[in-house]
Amino acid sequence: MSAILEISHVTRRFAGLVAVNDVSFTLDEGEILGVIGPNGAGKTTLVSMISGTLAPSSGNIVFEGNSITRLPAFRRARLGIGRTFQIMRPFPGLSVLDNVAVGALFGRGEETAGLAEARERALGYLEFVGLGKSIGRRADELGGPGRKRLELAKALAMQPKLLLCDEVMAGLNHVEIDEVVEVIRKVRDEGISILVIEHVIKAIKSLSDRLLVLHHGEKIADGEPEAVLSDAAVVEAYLGKRRA
Amino acid sequence: MTAARIALASLAIAVLAAVPWFGSDVLVQFGINALLLAVLAQGWNIIGGYAGYASFGNSVFYGLGSYGVAITMVQWELPFAFGLAFGVLMAVIFAFLLGLPVLRLKGHYFAIATLALAQVMIAIVSNVPLAGQNIGLVLPPLNNDPLFYELALGLLTAVTLTIFWLTRSRFGFGLIAIRENEEGAAVMGVNTTLYKVLAFALSGVFSALAGGIHAYWITFLDPESAFDISLNVKMIIMAVFGGPGTILGPVIGALTLSAVSELLSSEVTSVAGLFFGIVVVAAVVLMPRGLADIVRRFRKSGWRYFAENIKAHRI
Repeated sequence: MSAILEISHVTRRFAGLVAVNDVSFTLDEGEILGVIGPNGAGKTTLVSMISGTLAPSSGNIVFEGNSITRLPAFRRARLGIGRTFQIMRPFPGLSVLDNVAVGALFGRGEETAGLAEARERALGYLEFVGLGKSIGRRADELGGPGRKRLELAKALAMQPKLLLCDEVMAGLNHVEIDEVVEVIRKVRDEGISILVIEHVIKAIKSLSDRLLVLHHGEKIADGEPEAVLSDAAVVEAYLGKRRA
Repeated sequence: MTAARIALASLAIAVLAAVPWFGSDVLVQFGINALLLAVLAQGWNIIGGYAGYASFGNSVFYGLGSYGVAITMVQWELPFAFGLAFGVLMAVIFAFLLGLPVLRLKGHYFAIATLALAQVMIAIVSNVPLAGQNIGLVLPPLNNDPLFYELALGLLTAVTLTIFWLTRSRFGFGLIAIRENEEGAAVMGVNTTLYKVLAFALSGVFSALAGGIHAYWITFLDPESAFDISLNVKMIIMAVFGGPGTILGPVIGALTLSAVSELLSSEVTSVAGLFFGIVVVAAVVLMPRGLADIVRRFRKSGWRYFAENIKAHRI
């Protein structure tokens, strides 16, 4: 399999704090890569640098063989990088349908659909994530779980080749988590590569083909989920050093 | 748009267009002023109502449009239409040159930065001999109020149709997305910088045309009156009163407020000056989303609508 995304030696500093420190990894086409790590490990910073809302202090990001390190966020979106936000960013005053239609209007490809066609496509994605009944409501009337689904539908409507999911399961109950996991699997089956950031270890373990662990901005493990989760350094990062 | 609405809109335009034939001279003159203010409110609606950037720089576009006409007709002795084109050209250039840096600022900072623009323009124009320095320019008079009236009405129709197109175009959706959440819009593929500058320029084109028509009608122009910041405040009040980000709100707001203001200033001169101040306070407290929102929600909430807004402001 060929890599769709290559991150090499990416670092991001905020004044004195190094949020992401010399991280390198690749994401293969059609792969689901899980990224875990304690709070403040640099997960969201990493996603922001891939989607283009934050510039790396140093390092290089390559998407489909071309460097995108210097491209603005909207260009990356049109190349096929879609993301969801951990702190949800709906367009609050717009209807749920139109929120997703924006993705269909502006996503991948230079000239996309007209408004009617965009809304029609948006409806399809909303049904796909289970929001088909809420299309007429304003986005800010949705509750937390609904907004998570909306974030996902908005990103999918852009027809991305790479989907970055920033904690789409946080705050959901078990049933809802299972549903979202199912949705993400289906998205992958459509041929979309996925990077998932998550706190819910159980869900991400079963979902991911590969797991990457960040701690204090550094990559401390990368590999098979089973192996990574039993790795001594990972256990220590999460649980602290075991007393002898 | 349904056939009924097209018919209703056409009828409204036809009635307004007929005013010079049955109305008095005073009514026509009031009409020219009110229609031009409505154009300005609609122009502001594009950048302020749709893109969400509260511009205090739109009176600069108005001033550039006025001077475009004045300089072309007085100094170069060319026809009015060339003057309008020159004013529009200056407005577009201004929108791109200043829009690029200024539109990087958000919220209050954008408002403050644009607030300074009109003052700077007064200082510049006062020292340009071509623009008559601080004495100003006197245009050749054209005593044809019905013509100015129809021009203003035509311009208002054009800007309103443009906004109607915005509400169902990709461009308009991009602007709304920027207003609702700029970072969210960018990661979904909206070229936010380009869209903001284009909205600023589009807003400027209509404001400049309004300024050009006004200058030729009034036949006199000086820096202080051309780049008048209180005019900018007025267009914002009218747009916000009517409903920013709606197709007809700013037009209704501008026409209603112009009419009430006109009545007050002729009947009770002493309180007329207070009027706009009171409107601002009442509008912000009771109906922050404008008349258009009242029309939409009043049926559901009734008089509670106003109480809910007061509560939402924690007053």
